[in-house]
Amino acid sequence: MTGASTAAPAGAEHGESYLTHGRGVASWLLSLDHKRIGVMYLVIVSASLFLGGVFALLLRLHLWNPAGGLVSNDAYNKLFTLHGAVMIFLFVIPGIPAALGNFVLPLQLGAKDVAFPRVNLLSFWLYASGAVLFVVTLVVGGIDTGWTLYPPYSLEEARGLGILLALSAVFLAGFSSILTGVNFIASIHRLRPPGMGWFELPLFLWALYATGVIQIIATPVLGITAAMGFMDRIFHLGLFMPEYGGDPVLFQHFFWFYSHPAVYIMILPAMGVVSEVVSVFSRKPIFGYRFIAMSSIAIAVIGFLVWGHHMFVSGQSKWMNLAFSFLTMLVAIPSAIKMFNWLATMYKGAIVLRTPMLYVLAFFGVFAVGGLTGLFLGALATDIPLHDTYFVVAHFHFVMVGAVMMAFLAGLHYWWPKMTGRMYHERLGVVSAVLVFVGFNVTFVPQFLAGVAGMPRRYATYAPAFTLDNRISTVGAFILGLGLVVALWSLLGGLRSGRRAPANPWGAASLEWQAASPPSHHNFEETPRAGGPYDFTGLRRVSDEAGWVRTEAA
Amino acid sequence: MTNRFASEIANLLAGGGPGYMPARASSVAGDVDQVFWFIFWVSAFFLALIVFLTVLFVVRYRHRASRPEPEATPSQHTGLELLWTGIPLVLVLVMFAWSTKAYLAMTETGTGAEPLEVQVTGKRWSWWFDHPGGKGAPELHLVAHRPATLVLSSTDVIHSLYVPEFRLKQDAVPGRFTRMSFTPNVPGTYPILCTEYCGTNHSRMLASVVVHPDQAAFDAWAREGMEPGESLVEIGRKVFAQRGCAACHSLDGSRRVGPTVKGLWGKEEKLADGSTVRVDEEYLRESILKPGAKVVAGFPNVMPPSALPERDLKGIVAYLQSLKETP
Repeated sequence: MTGASTAAPAGAEHGESYLTHGRGVASWLLSLDHKRIGVMYLVIVSASLFLGGVFALLLRLHLWNPAGGLVSNDAYNKLFTLHGAVMIFLFVIPGIPAALGNFVLPLQLGAKDVAFPRVNLLSFWLYASGAVLFVVTLVVGGIDTGWTLYPPYSLEEARGLGILLALSAVFLAGFSSILTGVNFIASIHRLRPPGMGWFELPLFLWALYATGVIQIIATPVLGITAAMGFMDRIFHLGLFMPEYGGDPVLFQHFFWFYSHPAVYIMILPAMGVVSEVVSVFSRKPIFGYRFIAMSSIAIAVIGFLVWGHHMFVSGQSKWMNLAFSFLTMLVAIPSAIKMFNWLATMYKGAIVLRTPMLYVLAFFGVFAVGGLTGLFLGALATDIPLHDTYFVVAHFHFVMVGAVMMAFLAGLHYWWPKMTGRMYHERLGVVSAVLVFVGFNVTFVPQFLAGVAGMPRRYATYAPAFTLDNRISTVGAFILGLGLVVALWSLLGGLRSGRRAPANPWGAASLEWQAASPPSHHNFEETPRAGGPYDFTGLRRVSDEAGWVRTEAA
Repeated sequence: MTNRFASEIANLLAGGGPGYMPARASSVAGDVDQVFWFIFWVSAFFLALIVFLTVLFVVRYRHRASRPEPEATPSQHTGLELLWTGIPLVLVLVMFAWSTKAYLAMTETGTGAEPLEVQVTGKRWSWWFDHPGGKGAPELHLVAHRPATLVLSSTDVIHSLYVPEFRLKQDAVPGRFTRMSFTPNVPGTYPILCTEYCGTNHSRMLASVVVHPDQAAFDAWAREGMEPGESLVEIGRKVFAQRGCAACHSLDGSRRVGPTVKGLWGKEEKLADGSTVRVDEEYLRESILKPGAKVVAGFPNVMPPSALPERDLKGIVAYLQSLKETP
């Protein structure tokens, strides 16, 4: 047990933290500190979740009646477009990696910062500019193309200025994502402390590493595609518009070459959070470490070869369809491996049911449904009737919203004491986890049923037969929204009246818990020596105030 | 309404019959539903297993006064990993194989009678169907048990033709033709929905498909109210004459600057680069819009491209097809 005896700082009682190091707006906006950048990301990511959520509630209200009624068809089309675009580009993709990842990654490495702090700040500013451009898009009247931006519809002159702004926003947000990926990969390669080999990395870092690989390979294609769309619209190059000799299906290939792997950019970091939390709150080392780590890489690799399943009914050759169907179904395997390893981790543990763990349990159920319903869409025979129906809407919400958001909230509650130095309100946290889980299922289970019965997606009006499914879904959306408000209350309330957080409130073994809560500007006074990230031997709980401390005798 | 919902849930849970699903009205619908229920039950089993284990572990191994510490267990086990890699892999391969078998049937016309070929045009926000014999209509007419082939195109943006009761769907993409082949097998009227977002009235781009019980009923419908000069063949004949196509492409088989159009449809043409191509609607579209792309061996590459409107293009295709059919 060498290296397991590093004396942990006794809590937050040692002077300046990163929050008080430097004051004033400029000290935040121009900060090179990964922790401040992470917090700034968190603020915009949360604001985006709020904005996207308001759009969601409005469109669910509109769908209360089959004939619509709240807004016009055009306004509805803008609502679902902006809901999708804001949620995907500004919340789900950067949520875990950019906000939580930026804060946690250097701490888990026992490092002072990421490998390229200036690039990190640039990345944040690109993202913020993208977010501002999305808001400007709203101000000039919004767009109604769907977040998928399929030409010819999206590139017609009638779409106006909005589409050009949206393409620029996507371009900027994309570059931010690439730079974050580069930074994370370089940091994990170069900044590991003594004693931390590749197979001693916390699994969150393996997940961020696999995510970084996807970000730097796939995201440039998104940027190029946005630029090509821009050019086609302005100069009529004839890339995607049949009117000028282009091919709209080519756009779909480019778009999904990025946007399918993007699903793994979203879900891999989520899986990383789950691996951390499930081990710490079961008080047991993670089961099957290597299999979980390698399944992240397998998902990243296979995830690149499945984009064609979005074009199963576009007229693509049937042999292409078969190849893509086969590869798509294979992706189920690494996800199944992870699921069973997490369950095995809980086996014979001493499971502590705090808020982060409750969100992880919710993740299990929701992710299982999201993954399993993917099988229906990977199999050609069943995809063809289900393609572009509410079944697809429900499926991707289970994966992207359900699973990713549950993990995001698990991670946020888990690292909140580290980020702020205060505990959230446990009771409110529990209430929020229950409301979010119930609300989510009430919202999206009926959508599976509507999809199987043949209700197409992106419909401003629908057949009266689907009224009940839609109404239940609308009620669920409001329960989900309420759950999120309670979560915010639990977290922000904690800032005011929460207990002071010790350095290690959960008894976790990874390095971020050796830094003070909140950490000092330089994170660690001296580079810590890494033990196993899931080696809990010798950790003893002293009290609520002092948290967990590693004792010499192990 | 509530009863319907309840009975559908019950049906779904019982895994039985059509239940929540739309009626089955094509020859492939039954196979599709079999694949669906197979995947459904495998998924239901795994979901139940995961939820059961989660709940069981939380209840039994919850941290409490009598259970302050976890029990020591191994943190890896290759045998278990192989087990939970292997079983899902085998199941997924079975799903893929079964689905593929059903899918291949969904892409073929099937044997039996000669297929009824309908030209489908999508535009914001309606469909138009040109049936054999020249009858055009805003709804699709087919014959039960007679194979059908739909050739889809669009004059503006991408649309998608979806008939839940057939379990089939196909995009109509501007600038190209796509095809759908199937056999409707239950007479009746079914909804057609657009499933590719196309703007303001996407959700109102509805039509219906009428499946006639027999050929006689279809023929009776096809004859009524038929006005001359409106069929695609007539449009094609007119365009062919007005554009002066016959100056280079003879109708009688004689050799002029370009290949004759007599007997052209469906022929295997030998190209200048040595490859061969079957003359179908996609080849004709390309040869009219980009004549230099695939030049027939032995002819000069001199034809100017002509940007024909979608409907004229379809007319030419139908006209050339008609030349083949009536020698």
